[in-house]
Amino acid sequence: VRWPLLIPALSLALGVARGGERVEVISPRADSVSVTIYRDLFALITETRTVDLPEGPTTLSFDGVVETLLPASAVVADLGRELEERNYDYEQLTPRSLMARSVGREVLLMRTLPGGKVVRSPATIVSASDDGVVLRTGDGTEALRCSGLPEHVVFERVPDELRHTPRLSVRLAAGPAGRRTIRLSYLAHGFAWKSDYVARLDRRATHVDLKGWVTLRNLTQTSIQDAQVQVVAGRPNLLNVEDGGSSLLEDNDYYDERVLRAAREDLLQLILEEFEWDSEQYDGHPSLLGGCFPVSPAGPHRLASEDIGLELEEVVVTGLRGSLIGHEPLADYQLYRLPWRTDLRAQQTKQALFLAKRSVKVERYYSSAMDAFHGSEDEPALEAPLLTLAFDNRKSSGLGEPLPEGILRLFEPGPAGDLFSGEGEIGDTAVNEPVEVALAGAVDLKLDVRTDTHEREADSERAALDIATAEIRIENAKGVPVTVEIRQQMHEHNANAAVARASQRPMRKHGDLAWRIRVPANSGAMLSYELHRPQTDAD
Amino acid sequence: MNKAWWCLTVLPMAGLAADVPADREISLTIYNKGIALVEHVRPLRMPPGRQRIEFAGVSAQIAPETVSFIAPGVDLIEQNFDYDLLTPAKLMEKAVGGRVRLIRVNPATGAETSEEAEVLSTVQGTVLRIGSRIEVLREDNLPTRVIFDKVPENLRAQPTLSVLVNAAKAVDAPARLTYLSRGLDWNADYVAIFDESRSETSLQGWITLKNESGTTFANARAQLVAGDVNLVNGEEGYWEHQQQRRNANQRRAGAESTQRQQLGDYYVYPIKQLTTIANNQTKQVSFLDTSGVEATKGYEIVFVGFESSDEPRSADVRMRFSNSKATGLGEQLPSGVVRVYVRDVRGQAQFIGEDHIGHTSAGSELALKIGDAFDVSVQPTLVGTRRISKRNVEYAMSYLLRNARPTPVVVTLRQDGLWRENEVLKESLKGRRTDSDSFAWDVNVPAQGETTLTVTLRNGW
Repeated sequence: VRWPLLIPALSLALGVARGGERVEVISPRADSVSVTIYRDLFALITETRTVDLPEGPTTLSFDGVVETLLPASAVVADLGRELEERNYDYEQLTPRSLMARSVGREVLLMRTLPGGKVVRSPATIVSASDDGVVLRTGDGTEALRCSGLPEHVVFERVPDELRHTPRLSVRLAAGPAGRRTIRLSYLAHGFAWKSDYVARLDRRATHVDLKGWVTLRNLTQTSIQDAQVQVVAGRPNLLNVEDGGSSLLEDNDYYDERVLRAAREDLLQLILEEFEWDSEQYDGHPSLLGGCFPVSPAGPHRLASEDIGLELEEVVVTGLRGSLIGHEPLADYQLYRLPWRTDLRAQQTKQALFLAKRSVKVERYYSSAMDAFHGSEDEPALEAPLLTLAFDNRKSSGLGEPLPEGILRLFEPGPAGDLFSGEGEIGDTAVNEPVEVALAGAVDLKLDVRTDTHEREADSERAALDIATAEIRIENAKGVPVTVEIRQQMHEHNANAAVARASQRPMRKHGDLAWRIRVPANSGAMLSYELHRPQTDAD
Repeated sequence: MNKAWWCLTVLPMAGLAADVPADREISLTIYNKGIALVEHVRPLRMPPGRQRIEFAGVSAQIAPETVSFIAPGVDLIEQNFDYDLLTPAKLMEKAVGGRVRLIRVNPATGAETSEEAEVLSTVQGTVLRIGSRIEVLREDNLPTRVIFDKVPENLRAQPTLSVLVNAAKAVDAPARLTYLSRGLDWNADYVAIFDESRSETSLQGWITLKNESGTTFANARAQLVAGDVNLVNGEEGYWEHQQQRRNANQRRAGAESTQRQQLGDYYVYPIKQLTTIANNQTKQVSFLDTSGVEATKGYEIVFVGFESSDEPRSADVRMRFSNSKATGLGEQLPSGVVRVYVRDVRGQAQFIGEDHIGHTSAGSELALKIGDAFDVSVQPTLVGTRRISKRNVEYAMSYLLRNARPTPVVVTLRQDGLWRENEVLKESLKGRRTDSDSFAWDVNVPAQGETTLTVTLRNGW
C-alpha cells in the first residue's frame, strides 16, 4: 500500500512531535580510552562510557570522539537493547556552513558607514554558496559584502544540524531503564608511529649496542587523556577509503616496501599541511563564503591569509633506561604496549624505548654488486662501494627480538666522541631472520671495474658460449684495513653461467656469486673472474 | 529541517501562486552503485487549466531525464529542471538590460544618494548607464550598494523541478514524482571477531548509507538493493567494474538460497522504521549478527617468475570461512569491506586487517586477506637454470621458509606464471598442480624453525 492513509498536512508536524518523544541522551566523554596505533596513519580507539538510559526509545549521542573518526568502522557494544540505526553527522559548524544552513532564515545585517556609524537592518538570507551570499533587505535584493562598506551578519542561533564537533549517535529501541557501561570503538585517522634504531659500534667494529625507539604522534585536534596506548608492528591488509576501506594511502598493495614508506611519508606531510591550513582558519582569517558580481580590479579585496609558522609540536621522551615497553604477539603481528597510562595531546609527539641490547654481533663491510654480462658503457668505471652493516637476528648473536621496520642509524667511535656513519632502512624482521642494511657511500675507497663480454663460436667439440670477464681493482685510501664484498648478480638470464676462472673462490649469497676481500690500510687489492654461459639460441 | 524546502508550489499561468504542503511520503530505493530511485508523494490542489507546478527540495543530483510525474486527472505537457544557483554574479548577469538601484554613501558626510542605473555588461567588471553617463561599478572604489528589485525566477537557492501540466477540472489529490538521483550510495561493512584458538568467528553486517546528494530526506521509507546494476556511462570505468565482478578472495561460488527478499536479480534490505537521511550523513543499519561461524587461518604466498630475493618475503595471512548454512552463517553477503579483529592478551578487540568481498551468494567459500605475517616468511633463491632446447628451460629453485611463531604452521606456496608447457621434474615435497600455469606445495614449518623446499621445474612453450 503506497499511501495508507490520507494524512492531513498537520500530521507531519505531529510525526515530528511524536519523533520528539524519543529522548536524547548525550554521553559527554569516555571513562577510559585505549589507543592502538598502526603504521598507516590511523588508530583504533576503544572507549568505555557509562550512560543512564531511559526506558523509551532513545537517541544516544557520543561527544568527544576523535574528529577524524571513520564512521563505517564504529562498533557499539554492550548496549543491552536493540540498536535501530547508527548515524554520523559530520556537518561541522564553520563560518561557511553557518551561512549555508541559514538560507531562508532572518539575520541582522550590520553595515558600518563611513564615519563609523553602524546601521542595523533585518535581512533574510536568500542564497548562500561558495560564490557568494544574496540577501533580501528592506530595500530589495542585495549581495553581501559587495558594496565596499564593511558588512557582516549576526545570526540569532546556530542551526540544529551544525555541530562544533562531528557527532556519532545511535537510535535505540525502547528497553529497560538503567545505568550501563558500554564500549565504543572506531578507527580514526591522524595517528602515527614509527621505530628508529641507534647502533653504536665498538672499537673492534665487531659488535654494536642497539637501541630501538618508538615515536608516537597524535596529529588530530583531539587530546586524549589518560589513555592506554599500544602500537602494532606489521602490515595489515588495508583498502583505500575510496574503496570502502580504512586507509588514506592510495593503494596498500605496494610490492616494494620503500614505495609504501615514501607514500606514508607523503601522507604524513599532507596531514600536517592540512592542520596548518586549519589553524590559519582559526587564527582570524575565517574562510567565509565569498564572491561578488564582477567589479573593477580596484574593487574590494579579500584578506590574503598569511603564512603562520607552526610551532605547536611538543616532543615528550618517556623511555628511561630499564623501563622498556614490552611486546606481545597479536595475531600475526607484534603489539607493543606502553606499561603506563599516558596523555596523547593534540599535535603531540612521544617517544619510548622498546629495545636495548648490548653487544650484538655484527659484520661491517663495504659492498658492491655488478653483472659482468651487463658492463657499463663508460668503463672503466670508478665506483664507491656502500658501507653495510649485517647481523643475524638471533639469540646467539645477542639479539633475537622482533624488529619492526624503521631507520637504523650507525654511530662509530671517532677521535673525539661518536661519529654518525650513515643510515638505512630495515624492514619488519622476525626472530632468526638476517638483516643487511646499506648505510652510506664509502669515502676514500674506490673500485675500478672493467668488464668485457665476447662470444666463442661453436666448434666440433664445444658449444657456443657467451663469455664475461671482470677485473676489479680496489683502492683503499683509508688509514685502516677494510673488508669489501663484491657480488656478481645472477638472474634468470645468466643463472646458467659457470665460473670458468676466479682469482679467489666465490661463495654463494642469495643465488649470487660473492667474494669477501680484505684490503689493508692505504693499499689495494684485485679481483678477477670469468663466466661462461651457453648461448641462448642453442638448440 | 527547513520546511521551506519541502513545498510544492502551483503557479497558474495567470500568475496566481498557491502554496501546498510538503511531502506526505517519501521513498528511497538505494542501489550500491551511487544511484537511488526517489519517490515523493505530495498533496496537490489546483484549479482547472494549464499551469506550472514546482517541486522544490528534490535531490540536487536528480537525473532530470528519469523524472516521472503522475497525478490523477493531470496531463503533463513538459518538464524542466532548473537549478541555476542564485549568486551575486548571476544576479547581476541576469540584470543585464534591466534596471538596478545604486545607493552611494558620501565618505565625508555619510549622506546617501540613490539613483537608477541600467546594467549594460558584466564581462570583466560591471558597466552601467546612469542617466546619460556610462560608468564602471565601483571603479572609484567608493562604497556603492546595488539593489535589485526582484530575483529572476530561474535563479534559485535550492534545486527545483517544474512541470507544465493541464487539468480538465480542479484537482485535490496526491501527486507522485519519481526520479533517479546520484549522490546516494550504500555498501556493507562487516565486523568479524576471529578466535583462532576456537577456529570460529563472529560476523556482524552493517549497511552503511551515505547521502552526498546535497538534500536531506526527512522521514523516508528506505530500502537498499544489493546487486550489480549496469549503468551506462557510470562513474566507474570498465576495469573497476570487472574488478568488482571478479572476486580474488572468493574461492568457491555458493548455490544456496536464503529467506532474503529478492527483486529480480537483486536482494532487498528494507530499513524497518521511517528514517531521516540527512545530507552529509553516514547512516548504518544492522542486517546480520551471527557468531560461532567456522573459520580457519592459513598462510599463502605466490611467486611469479624465478628470482632470488635478498630479503625474506612475508606470507599472506588469510581467514577462510564459508557462508553456507552448515558453517553457521547461511546468508548471502552483499558487497562490502570486512574488518577483522582479534582479542589481545587482555581480551580487548584489536583490528588486524580488512578485505573487500563482492556480492557473495550463500554457500560460497571465502579466503580474506588479513595482512602480511610478521613471523612467517619465504625467501626464494634461483639456484640455477639449464637450457634444454630453444623453448625449454629448467629452473632449480630453493625456497627457505621461516617460522618465528611458537607453533608450527603450514604455508601454501604457489609458483605461478608458468608457460604453456610445464612440469615438475624434482621436488623435495610432494606438490600439486593448481591450474595450467601454476603448482602449489603445502609446506610444514616447525615452531621457531625453518624448512627448505627445493623444486626443479621445466618451463617452455
